[in-house]
Amino acid sequence: MFVYEKKLQYPVKIKATNPALAKFIISQYGGPDGELGASLRYLSQRYSMPYPELKGLLTDIGTEELGHLEMIGAIVHQLTRDLSPAEIKKAGFDTYFVDHTAGVYPTAASGFPWSAASMEVKGDVIADLNEDLGAEQKARVTYDNILRLCDDPDVNNVIRYLREREVVHFQRFGEGLRLAMEKMDQKNLYAVNPSFDR
Amino acid sequence: MDRNKADGSYKTGTLPAGAPLAAAYVPMQRSASPAYEANEALSRGTLFPGLDLPFMNIVNNDLKCTPMTEMMAIDFVADELELYLDTHSADSEAFAMYQTFLALKEEARKRYVKMCGPICQTDLLGMNSYSWLNNPWPWDYQPQMEV
Repeated sequence: MFVYEKKLQYPVKIKATNPALAKFIISQYGGPDGELGASLRYLSQRYSMPYPELKGLLTDIGTEELGHLEMIGAIVHQLTRDLSPAEIKKAGFDTYFVDHTAGVYPTAASGFPWSAASMEVKGDVIADLNEDLGAEQKARVTYDNILRLCDDPDVNNVIRYLREREVVHFQRFGEGLRLAMEKMDQKNLYAVNPSFDR
Repeated sequence: MDRNKADGSYKTGTLPAGAPLAAAYVPMQRSASPAYEANEALSRGTLFPGLDLPFMNIVNNDLKCTPMTEMMAIDFVADELELYLDTHSADSEAFAMYQTFLALKEEARKRYVKMCGPICQTDLLGMNSYSWLNNPWPWDYQPQMEV
């Protein structure tokens, strides 16, 4: 069960509209390494996790990622408020605008709509946690790339915050993997899949 | 905060003495201290100096203090300790710190709700109207809203 809190995890207050930035930042909303995929990956992987530490970790990080999805949505929303058709055209935002107006739609910067093909739920402890470690690194790199492209400090403060969360989550998933492996067959980690074999 | 400890050990964790091949190992964080104070933790995106690894070493300035950021900072420390405790559930020092922040969180929440309105719908208990619908919503911001 989820309960909504009417607040963001970190403030998003963007003074200047700038649809050219929204065009690529939206990739962290609905792109291959974005926050929607992150939350669905972790919240879906929970069910087959055999150990309480991992059930807790995937629940808590998956929930936090939903909060990050909301923050990216807020950035895109604020970057695209009060636009004129001329500003939309000049920024090259017209290809998004024609389908979604100034709504926030889960898509990659390329225009490819969010796809579950960008995430995996393998139902295997080691495979899923290794996927999660990779996912955090890919999200971190996407934020690095946004920082390279974006020159608005109001946006970059939020992006730096979100990027740092990926580093922390990587550490926690690594620790989760350690805890899981300690409970498994030390002579042969791959003897069975504790998510499936009882 | 003693993050300037000469040995820098807060930046290193523990690895197993003999680990099986064909497995990825991230070192376990040793301890929940040193820790940033709440506002600095929120602006940097982590409570832990050892995990604070910013792109091109550029870090955020501290956030402007408002009733909202005060509450966010305390909530953030609690969130960060929850993730730490998920993988360090036997760390009694971290759990004691978590208890402290849960108490602070409750106070900060009450203060904020009284001043600015509900954060959760259960905050409406005892209020005289359905103020849940009042602006601003979290994603809305107009520069002229700033006082």
